[in-house]
Amino acid sequence: MKRILICLVLCLCLLPLGAMAEFDAASLAGQTLNVYNWGEYVDMDVIRAFEKEYNVRVNYKTFESNEYLWLQLSSEDAWDVIVPSDYMIERLIKAGKLQPIDKTIVDNLDQLAEGVQNLSFDPDNTYAVPYFWQTVGIVYDTTKISEEEMEAQGWEAFRNPAYAGHAYMYDSSRDGFMIAEKALGYSANTTDEAEIMAANEWLEDMHKTLKPSYVTDEVIDSMAEGLKWMALVYSGDAAYILSENEDMAYCVPSQGTNVAIDAMVIPANAKNPTLANVFIRYMTGYEASLANSTEVGYASANAEALAELSGPGGEYEGNEAYIPRSGYEKDEIYVDLPSEWQARQPDLWEKIKIQ
Amino acid sequence: MKSFFRMSYPYILWIGLFIIAPMVMILLYAFTRSSDGAITFKFTLENFGRFLSDPTFLKVLWTSLRIALITTAVCILIGYPAALFIANLPEKRQTFLILLLTLPMWINMLLKTYAWRGILMNFEIESEIKVFIGMVYDFLPYMIIQIHTAIAKLDRELLTAAYDLGANKWRAFLKVTLPLSVPGIISGITLVFLPAVSSFVIPKLLGGGNYVLIGNLIETYFLVAGDWNFGSAISLIMALIIIASMYLTRKLDTSGKEE
Repeated sequence: MKRILICLVLCLCLLPLGAMAEFDAASLAGQTLNVYNWGEYVDMDVIRAFEKEYNVRVNYKTFESNEYLWLQLSSEDAWDVIVPSDYMIERLIKAGKLQPIDKTIVDNLDQLAEGVQNLSFDPDNTYAVPYFWQTVGIVYDTTKISEEEMEAQGWEAFRNPAYAGHAYMYDSSRDGFMIAEKALGYSANTTDEAEIMAANEWLEDMHKTLKPSYVTDEVIDSMAEGLKWMALVYSGDAAYILSENEDMAYCVPSQGTNVAIDAMVIPANAKNPTLANVFIRYMTGYEASLANSTEVGYASANAEALAELSGPGGEYEGNEAYIPRSGYEKDEIYVDLPSEWQARQPDLWEKIKIQ
Repeated sequence: MKSFFRMSYPYILWIGLFIIAPMVMILLYAFTRSSDGAITFKFTLENFGRFLSDPTFLKVLWTSLRIALITTAVCILIGYPAALFIANLPEKRQTFLILLLTLPMWINMLLKTYAWRGILMNFEIESEIKVFIGMVYDFLPYMIIQIHTAIAKLDRELLTAAYDLGANKWRAFLKVTLPLSVPGIISGITLVFLPAVSSFVIPKLLGGGNYVLIGNLIETYFLVAGDWNFGSAISLIMALIIIASMYLTRKLDTSGKEE
């Protein structure tokens, strides 16, 4: 009798948790979730709070590029949640390496911001739930280059001899070709030989006239310290730079740019898909989104968190780089290029840098 | 004896798995081409032809070699007098100074390079000079320790004999100390030149993004372009250069001993 009573009380205690979503939270206790995300892309307190709330352990590891993630997935299989970018998600879907999101668990997709809804690579969130999103633009020092000057030039600023030796170029072949293609009025996803070779010529000219330093993440601190006049930067990093150095401004050229979305997906061979879905639901919620975006500076995919942080009194109030431009017709999400160009663009890019 | 040999099995297995097998794979990749992930096992020299016929790649090779050569030369020029100075001190102070020399080696190379980046950022120096400062700083201890070991174990009686026969200090150095310390210089070169030629972190961090080196190329073709065949060919060319320079230095060493 006593035992039954205890059981009953326990079940009653668990009831409110179970009613929140279509999973049994108690059965998750003690499990391990393997998460693979970009470096410096989370507030670790959020991960710890998740571990505590569900009494689970999160094995959190980081990667540095989509291509590296792709290689890792081909050889290893231990991940439950990974956070690739748009074009890589497209490739993963095509290769059959993802499993659908369980929308009975992830029941908060209506909280997604307008800019990350109905995305070309996965229109109805069958496989992916957006995490952070961003544009590519130019951070520049307003004491050296005026706003009108920069807005008028857009990407052509990278071919202005007046800025020679004072610019950082992000060392990424895809982004490099994107700015050249946009400057020339092409699509950032072109596979037309003549257009890509014209973009290649544009970049050779950029290399010769601007003599930029090719950098990756060092650009964030270097621009915060104002070491150079301008740099190609992702909007999330730009938001941080602008909050550190008030001379800096962010320009998203009118020729159009890349809008990039990093989204949470579950590999087909994930060992713990239920917990993975629970995690995705948790990370999409308002509180986790607010904490992550505050910590990292990238635009949240959660509409409410986005509004809160950019609104009056928010962490990024008045920060022009925080909310990515959306709905602009010349902006494009990257498409997964055919394998020929996947190999040729980096090859051309290396040769541009060596010249 | 036989039972001792058995104890080396784990090590042989280790070599086989983690050294021989990857090398065989690199060889295989370097001499083949793959299309869309499928490898066709057809022998080809295409990857090597592509590297050697392209002046931009040869320029990268030359930059890597030039940085390594200059670093090694500067290390000898600074390291030899330093080693000589240390070797002529009383033994207790020698041990202490060598300990001081090895101290920075306990710190992670990346940390040291970031520290240099912070220091050098405040100075208007050519980025190439910054690279050399970082490289020489990192590799100098290896050179000094190698030369010091050679000089310290040199038989002092030989110098006394030289003086007895009327040699002045300078002449004794040229005829006795220098030739006998050549093995030290050679192993110093091996320890400095080989890592220097394949290093790319220091030039990348201190050169302000103005250098593309062999290491960067290999990284790009493997990780970004996904062209493992070409990446393997570049790695193999690199390996050949290292083997060739090891052969040359050993040759120098043995010809020095025969004299």
